[in-house]
Amino acid sequence: MVYPKKRWVLLILYLVMSFQAAAENIKMKAVINDITKIYMSSMTYIFLNQALINQQAKDKTNLFSQKFIDNIKLTYRAKYNEEFPKDNHFAKKILLQAMVEVMEDNKALIYDDDIGFKGIIPATYAFQISAKLATKGIGLKIRFTRTAESIRNKLNSPDVWEKSIMQEIINAPQIYYDENALLNGKPAIRQFTPLPMTPVCLTCHGTPADNPLNANKNKPQWTDIDISGFKMENWTINDFGGGVSISIEKSFLEQH
Amino acid sequence: MSVINTMIKIFCLLILVLSSLVAKTQPLNIGLIDYPPHIDFDDDIEQSPLYQYINNMLAPAGFTVTFMKLPRERALLELTKGNIDLLLPTTTTIDNKTMKVLPSPLFHSVPGLCFKKENFIPILSATHRLANLTIGAPVNSPLVPALTDSSAKIVLIKGRNAINRGLEMTQRARFDAFYHPSPHKVYHRNNPLYKELACSYFHGYATPIHIAVSNALPISTFNLINTAFDKALLDKSYEYYFASRE
Repeated sequence: MVYPKKRWVLLILYLVMSFQAAAENIKMKAVINDITKIYMSSMTYIFLNQALINQQAKDKTNLFSQKFIDNIKLTYRAKYNEEFPKDNHFAKKILLQAMVEVMEDNKALIYDDDIGFKGIIPATYAFQISAKLATKGIGLKIRFTRTAESIRNKLNSPDVWEKSIMQEIINAPQIYYDENALLNGKPAIRQFTPLPMTPVCLTCHGTPADNPLNANKNKPQWTDIDISGFKMENWTINDFGGGVSISIEKSFLEQH
Repeated sequence: MSVINTMIKIFCLLILVLSSLVAKTQPLNIGLIDYPPHIDFDDDIEQSPLYQYINNMLAPAGFTVTFMKLPRERALLELTKGNIDLLLPTTTTIDNKTMKVLPSPLFHSVPGLCFKKENFIPILSATHRLANLTIGAPVNSPLVPALTDSSAKIVLIKGRNAINRGLEMTQRARFDAFYHPSPHKVYHRNNPLYKELACSYFHGYATPIHIAVSNALPISTFNLINTAFDKALLDKSYEYYFASRE
């Protein structure tokens, strides 16, 4: 038999623990949301600066080191109309560092005036960030992916979790959050943020009419190969745009 | 009075002994292998970013470091003999021999293809673009699946100087491209080859590059170095140090 006084104590304890768990959950969600938006802002910056990346003999210092981060922060503010997130978690610090490292990896190419198209587009840049984070072994995984049959880079294919989420949300896109997932066999939090198809995506994945390489050419001369060398998929603005998948091991989130 | 004098003398002696213990540093011999742009033998070695990072890491940990520039084969020999304590940068396996290394890698190397600039392919996940190309590759370098699964014709180059010969053959258009295990070593702005060749990368196939340790190094010294290295990495990874330097 539980005495009434004890019952109250247990109830209060239960409520305190529930509130703590809820608060922790909100904190983790906030970190993942920040990471998603920082990652997407950097992809936007790469898209907006294709001319700078590919042009000859330009001052390209905006693409490197702290200046690159400052520019991502500006892009973030313009894109989301809010302040750049506070540097209050190790995951955000590591992500920003990985971005600087990726651009440094591409420095020789970016400054190579003999190469016109450098191939540093949002999708390849995003994959390089993912690959860079994977080498750090910190339990943080980020991926810009889409349904398996439409993936160009096979190393970017969705895993079982991502496949099942995409099946679920493809017709009704919404952010999917799973706080009881696994990453590397360890408890993890995962989030999938669907992205809308945009005219920008269609320049490579749309129809030959969307291909900038066909501009000012007669239709019989059009190519269905995009600037990166892939065959265009003929997607339209109403198609599923893929999404950003973020997974963080709980131990990593809690430690930092 | 004499008791006080004796006590003062003992106290001074104690201070001297303690201060000499605190100031005592441990000598450490480090072999460096040419690995541009991280260690560039063509430049002032003290300006090489990896030299500076390692020096900044070990000095506060109480080591007096002597760096030695060594050719690869000689460096391996000196490490085996115990004449050098550390060797960097290296892979975990050299010539099929497993190296003893500090557990955390220094940085990662990504393999790629080097082309004459007019034949450059920027995105190597577009493997269909490799179809029917003749691609040279050094026989001892493991090839990535993206290349072996493509329809490229792969020509393996044997011998000690396979990488340099492969690059030369690419320059002379004998190959359409050359598979390099670490193109960063050649595709950088200080290299004369930069004028003729451009390299792209098989992202997602990184190999960790480590600091090798002599088997003769006492375990206590190993632990000291390892702790100092992990602390430095946590503070600022070498890759970020390299990327964010002015």
